[in-house]
Amino acid sequence: MRFSMLPQVFAQMFKKPFTNKFPAKYTPDSTTKFMENVQNGKTQIIPPVPPPEGFRGKIQYDKEKCIGCQLCLKVCPSEAIEFKPEEKKIKIYLARCTFCSQCNDICPVNCLSMSKDFLLADTDKYSKELTVE
Amino acid sequence: MSKATTKTSYQLPIGPIHPALKEPVMFEFEIEGERIVNVDVALGHVHRSIEWAGTKRNPVQILYLAERICGICSYCHPMCFALGVEKIAKIVVPDRANYLRIIHAELERICSHILWAGVAAHEVGFDSVLFLTWQMREKALDLTEYLTGNRVTKAITMIGGVRRDITEDMHPKILETLDYFKENFEKLRHVFLDDKTFMLRSQGCGILTKEDALKLCAVGPTTRASGVKKDVRLDQPYFAYGDLDFDYVTPDVLTGEVNGDVYDRIIVRLLEVKQSIELIEQCIKNMPAGEIVAEKKIAKLLATLKKIKGEGIGRMEAPRGEVFHYVKLNESDAPYSWKVRAPTYSNILPWIPMLKGQQIADIPIVAASTDPCMSCTNRVAVVHKNERHILDKEMLHRMSVEKTRRLMT
Amino acid sequence: MTEYLTPEDLVKSFTDKFQLKIKESHAEKYAYGSKKTEFSQIWMRIDNSIFKDVVKHLFTFDKYPHFAVSSGYDMGNSIELVYHFSIYNGERNREVSINITVELPKSNPVIETISDLIPGAVISEQEKQEMLGVKIHGIPKDARVFISDDFPEGVFPWRRDETGPHKVARNLHGVKK
Repeated sequence: MRFSMLPQVFAQMFKKPFTNKFPAKYTPDSTTKFMENVQNGKTQIIPPVPPPEGFRGKIQYDKEKCIGCQLCLKVCPSEAIEFKPEEKKIKIYLARCTFCSQCNDICPVNCLSMSKDFLLADTDKYSKELTVE
Repeated sequence: MSKATTKTSYQLPIGPIHPALKEPVMFEFEIEGERIVNVDVALGHVHRSIEWAGTKRNPVQILYLAERICGICSYCHPMCFALGVEKIAKIVVPDRANYLRIIHAELERICSHILWAGVAAHEVGFDSVLFLTWQMREKALDLTEYLTGNRVTKAITMIGGVRRDITEDMHPKILETLDYFKENFEKLRHVFLDDKTFMLRSQGCGILTKEDALKLCAVGPTTRASGVKKDVRLDQPYFAYGDLDFDYVTPDVLTGEVNGDVYDRIIVRLLEVKQSIELIEQCIKNMPAGEIVAEKKIAKLLATLKKIKGEGIGRMEAPRGEVFHYVKLNESDAPYSWKVRAPTYSNILPWIPMLKGQQIADIPIVAASTDPCMSCTNRVAVVHKNERHILDKEMLHRMSVEKTRRLMT
Repeated sequence: MTEYLTPEDLVKSFTDKFQLKIKESHAEKYAYGSKKTEFSQIWMRIDNSIFKDVVKHLFTFDKYPHFAVSSGYDMGNSIELVYHFSIYNGERNREVSINITVELPKSNPVIETISDLIPGAVISEQEKQEMLGVKIHGIPKDARVFISDDFPEGVFPWRRDETGPHKVARNLHGVKK
């Protein structure tokens, strides 16, 4: 059977594409201009495929519930959590976070949870979007 | 040329970073014409001092450090570490947790073997098979994301059990993915094992005899393809493998004879994918009820581990072979000593007898058939007498593809 | 067919042959799964002088014992190496792991090679040489395997004394704002 992949390749031409769609139908000439148009409402962006339940995205912190026990600092593998002694609350640096959600498991009052947010790219490691406090 | 040319052998270094090799490894080949006469191996290019970093962290943090040792066996390293620590602390893992651990391990084995099948096809020149297999793999990764929260770094290990449960409402999705694999397994098998070009390319190539495999302590599918029955899941059953019904996978299950060449390694890996699908089904059917972790309060677990002293060993069968972890705890926060042995390190010395006598164009497929870790790119320098020619990644890959075309005509 | 000895018989075979040179030995059993299938691991602590003979004695049980890796650590005044072997693989639930601990004084950390008996042990022995400063007598290939060539001589990363890697390690944590 010399060309065993040929039937496969032909069948693929008539099927729906397996990959998820790109945000724009055709590649835009300038990405920043495209993003501006989306903000203004001039063009629509094809939304990303939603991640399933239980996806470990950006961490969310409920400040009132936190009691300042510092258990989450003990288990963070990359030391991404900093304790603020004067307020007895924590500050999480997403630039170092490994999204393991171990801090969620150990917290005695359940004030930490993981959202589905994964589009977190930024140029500054310590910008406001990448710190949670 | 009026001068008589004498036949001299010249040195060909390959590596440290090369497309066919997943980990950076430095080879020095001595070649005469196109045949390889001698091979020398040098390692150490991605040494990250992980074991030293592990002696400065507590056991829960080490679980996540261990996960990042390798992307594909990212489930086996923390699990092996947990096995070692559980032996020291005499923690009894609940039955349900053991079955859940098997499901994740077998799912990772399916993902890894299918990825390898695509890479092996790419080395030979069959790019359409690469895309077919990676398309199938996407389904397995979607299932992993649904069960654990992430596609690659699963973070589902905890000392004493697992972190997430698989409830009844998750079963339909798992069974649907398994059905998809069962339907498409025949396609994969047909392309790899019945295709004449593939057979011509891989049979008789890169042979590892049974005696060499035993003496050099090779592990995993590399050694099973040479007829050696070594599989940690059956030799020393961990988790709940002692309850399940399966057997060693050697090439004579399918073809009736054992040659130890690249073709046999393909057979072993494809049969293992089938075996993994059956094991997951058995686990889902027989899953006992109960707890998923021995000690729920992690702070209490850390406090207990801080007080014990002892040494323990964890051994597991990763997709590539036997993963070995040795842990020594000495009544402090961090372990006193931690030794990791990834399976590729045992499978590197067998490259030497496998590559002697082969052609240069066979190097990618033979090296890839033992399934080392991730691929990067760099150049190959060919020193021919006094001139230096640089062969880069495309050139070496092109040589491999051209050999396939020559065989086809 | 291989004759399978029980772990207690294996330990007894070693202690009968080597008597007092084996300082400590015991077999531990572990049970897994709902059916509680068991397997055993043997731990032995031996004297350096009989090391190679002990490894040769392993060959009387299994023609090709499997060598996994050798680990080592610094205990202050001495260096301890642990060699991990396993025998009887090939049949379901028969494998027994054998771990041999050897203590070497820091003043003279020399041990015999086993790569003539088990060729697959070369890489592990080279690693001990560069990480702990142990001298392996008779090693076929004396070269660095994991550490790069420009790493300073005389610094052994796994040691906890003055030859440890303190000056070479960089503290990457001091960069947070």
